Amino acid sequence: MAAPNPGPKGPRVGVFVCYCGKNIAGTVDVKKVAEAAAGLPGVVYATTHEYMCSDPGQELVKRAIREQRLTGVVVAACSPSMHEVTFRRAAQEAGLNPYLLEIANVREQCSWVHEGPAATDKAVRIVRAMVEKVKGNHPLTPVEIGHSRTCLVIGGGIAGIQAALDVADAGFDVILVERSPTIGGRMAQLSETFPTLDCSQCILTPKMVDASRHPKIRILAYSEVEEVTGFLGNYRVRIRRKPAYVIADKCNLCGECAKVCPVRVPNEFDQGLSERAAIYIPFPQAVPSSYTLDAKNCLGLVPLTCGECAKVCEAKAIDYDMQEEIVEEEVGAIIVATGYDLYPKEAMAEYGHGTVPDVIDGLEFERLLSASGPTKGQVRRPSDGKVPREVVFIQCSGSRDPELHKPYCSKICCMYTAKHALLYRHNVHDGKAYVFYIDIRAGGKDYEEFVNRAMEDDRILYLRGKVAKVFREEDKVMVWGVDTLTGKRIEIRADLVVLAQAMVPAEGTWDLARKLRIACGSEGFLKEAHPKLRPLEALSAGIFMAGAAQGPKDIPEAVAQASGAAAKAVGILSADKLVHSPEVAEVDEDLCSGCKLCAPQCPYGAITVDEVAHVNEILCESCGTCVAACPSGAMSLRNCQDEQVVRMVQAALAEG
Amino acid sequence: MPKVAVYWTGGCGGCDVSFLELGPKLLDVLSQVEVVFWPALVDTKRQDLEALPGKAIDLALINGTLRTQENVEMVEVLRSKSRYVVAFGACAHLGGVPGLANLKSREELLVEVFGGGFRPTPPPGGPSEHALPELLPQTLPLAGAIPVDYVVPGCPPPPALIADLFERALAGDLPPAGHVFGKDKAVCEECPRKKEDRKLDKIVRPHELQPDGERCLLDQGMICMGPVTRGGCEAACPKAAMPCTGCLGPTPKAGDPVLAMISALASLVRAGEEGEAAFSAEDKVLDSLADPLGTLAKYSLPSFPRLARSCVPTPVRRGP
Repeated sequence: MAAPNPGPKGPRVGVFVCYCGKNIAGTVDVKKVAEAAAGLPGVVYATTHEYMCSDPGQELVKRAIREQRLTGVVVAACSPSMHEVTFRRAAQEAGLNPYLLEIANVREQCSWVHEGPAATDKAVRIVRAMVEKVKGNHPLTPVEIGHSRTCLVIGGGIAGIQAALDVADAGFDVILVERSPTIGGRMAQLSETFPTLDCSQCILTPKMVDASRHPKIRILAYSEVEEVTGFLGNYRVRIRRKPAYVIADKCNLCGECAKVCPVRVPNEFDQGLSERAAIYIPFPQAVPSSYTLDAKNCLGLVPLTCGECAKVCEAKAIDYDMQEEIVEEEVGAIIVATGYDLYPKEAMAEYGHGTVPDVIDGLEFERLLSASGPTKGQVRRPSDGKVPREVVFIQCSGSRDPELHKPYCSKICCMYTAKHALLYRHNVHDGKAYVFYIDIRAGGKDYEEFVNRAMEDDRILYLRGKVAKVFREEDKVMVWGVDTLTGKRIEIRADLVVLAQAMVPAEGTWDLARKLRIACGSEGFLKEAHPKLRPLEALSAGIFMAGAAQGPKDIPEAVAQASGAAAKAVGILSADKLVHSPEVAEVDEDLCSGCKLCAPQCPYGAITVDEVAHVNEILCESCGTCVAACPSGAMSLRNCQDEQVVRMVQAALAEG
Repeated sequence: MPKVAVYWTGGCGGCDVSFLELGPKLLDVLSQVEVVFWPALVDTKRQDLEALPGKAIDLALINGTLRTQENVEMVEVLRSKSRYVVAFGACAHLGGVPGLANLKSREELLVEVFGGGFRPTPPPGGPSEHALPELLPQTLPLAGAIPVDYVVPGCPPPPALIADLFERALAGDLPPAGHVFGKDKAVCEECPRKKEDRKLDKIVRPHELQPDGERCLLDQGMICMGPVTRGGCEAACPKAAMPCTGCLGPTPKAGDPVLAMISALASLVRAGEEGEAAFSAEDKVLDSLADPLGTLAKYSLPSFPRLARSCVPTPVRRGP
């Protein structure tokens, strides 16, 4: 390691205090802070600038580094999470090792949270402490690592498919893991898509085929991510492939097996509105294109118990002895696109707890509208198969209801309800649709126009208000509500009620997030690193998110996000080398006794111990937990040594 | 022939006996040195010592803590007569077990030991040469009174370290001043016990457990000071199923062994998953440590008095 700063002739520190417009200067007397800094031991230069992060501000820092031959720099400005990189790059351009520059956070930790003269006093103390730190810093070199060029995409819905295609088209291998027997996700279940009313499957299936035919994409359907270890560029994943008991390459989709199968269970793809056999294909265009034997519902995987399907399978594709398989792969980046579920209508006490047969949710209605659905696209209600003459659509069912249900807006319901109403009217010419809404949120290209089309239909009635109660009366569904625009109570004897249920994260999102060591927000959606500026990244480097797993969104948004996440992933996969901050934990091997107290403390699994402890510099996130645990003082954080911290505390607390 | 002095201040005498552990090697050593002062071994008095010219002694080994004014006077004389002074044993090195008396003031201590009627005043008729020497307000490690050249740590010092000192002294190969004979690495490095299950879910005292012969004592709930303590003893205590009590003192960068150990224990303690219930269960485990200072600061209190400061009215003189 090179000589520390204070160098042989003592430290020469420059202090640069930023006004940040009024963000800092509104509370902190910036000039006074610079004056106080100028008088500190080791400080040879102190100045201020209106916006230190601007080009002239950076130029000021660079010029001072050169002209004043600075050995250390403190920039008193915003949080280091904002501009540390900016200023360190500037320092490097001026010939100063970037790790000899530190940020004194006088905005987030001072001016924004204090007022009065005490704020200036605190700013001075923060600067004093950071000057002490810089004086003890060593010049460092970033750590470089090699990495895998493969990307893992978790979830085979439209977001996952798009991300996989984009990464693969950029020339990198992709492993696309999907939990269910086919990719396609929710979009495959939809009838038409707003606002253009093109057939969902018609625009989705070409992408599914592209993914299945792409030489760079390996689809692992009916598989789940079991374990993820490792780190940016070098993630190790264990994927559990559930046995489908059908050899995909041999299956010719003749369908004889399903005909003879004696089992009938609700068909998930039709949201339970139809039945399927224990051996089934979710829909004809499924990818991979093969039947799957659902072991949970099969009478038994031994031919003695049933074995009917194997008897009729001419292709000899059925293999009852198929075993679960564990696939282990090294991947450089991970894109999580696990999608959404609908908030269960069973949770809606006011709408009959899911017990009224003709109260269905939006996805069920999609299946009723779909040409491939249980009614071949004829709108027929589930209870008796009659064509409903009056249909009530209830928006915000479970959304925007912080007392009882979900506090957030599910974003797509206004649009798909308008679509539902229009498609229903197209289907049932003399039918009448009522839409209960709180507000119409149609913020998207051509969205407002689309909703207006629905509103202008003389047999679609938009009612602004909430529905208080839904219950069954004879073969009708009674809907009690209020029109808040007229103040009138409304009672509708409907044939069918469609609930625009809230979107919730897909089942298992939280478990997966834990395996990936990434965060979920309070509603269980994946949490992005920054809501505005890093919306596609998880806080763990190398993990990205796309689609509704991150929050409610529609198809164009999910696709855009997927392409964005793919671009981020490609950024990693295509890098020559990955670099990692050298400000990590370090073991003094002359002092370490190998007591192993540190290793289990590390939340990142970065420490291994043989005779002495070793820190994996790439995994280390500089939290310092091991340093606190180390009893013998053998573990330390680079540029954050005990002596530095002590001096910083003393400087911060000193009088005057 | 090098001249050697050995002196014993406030201690138990164990350090003097520890020379015997050298076995036949002791005879070699004694045949190569001249003992000019060693009250336990040869009949020499303070006057004899004072009569020696300055730096007449090559190596003075001083054991015991400094408890009385007389202790201080004697070590000052020894310092002036000796080229090298060695703090020998845990008391001279850190203050030692008698240093735990620093938890009380001198006055409280006398009352506690001799009862309420005792007054630490000079005897009637004023001070005389037969008067008891005055107690210091606090016990001090040797370095609290005089500059010390070397340390041979331990309670008592392990024979290998004593041998190392004599071998190097006789060969004229003494290390730079300030050297502590002993290893820079902690006892764990020498300890053969397996360190696997690094967590603390209960604390037991040695008499409460017949420990597993293979596994780390700390993992079994015994407070073993091994991780913060300088090696050099070949992990004698843990090998004999007794936890390390820290007699060789903290490793060079551990700082206050009490704080280092508390920090380590706080990291190790695990009682269930995260959350409030787990936190209070973890507190309970840590609170069950009986006699924390007697366990963690058994030898080191006078050298690292910060923790004890709130209990002690008089400020403690720090060593150089």
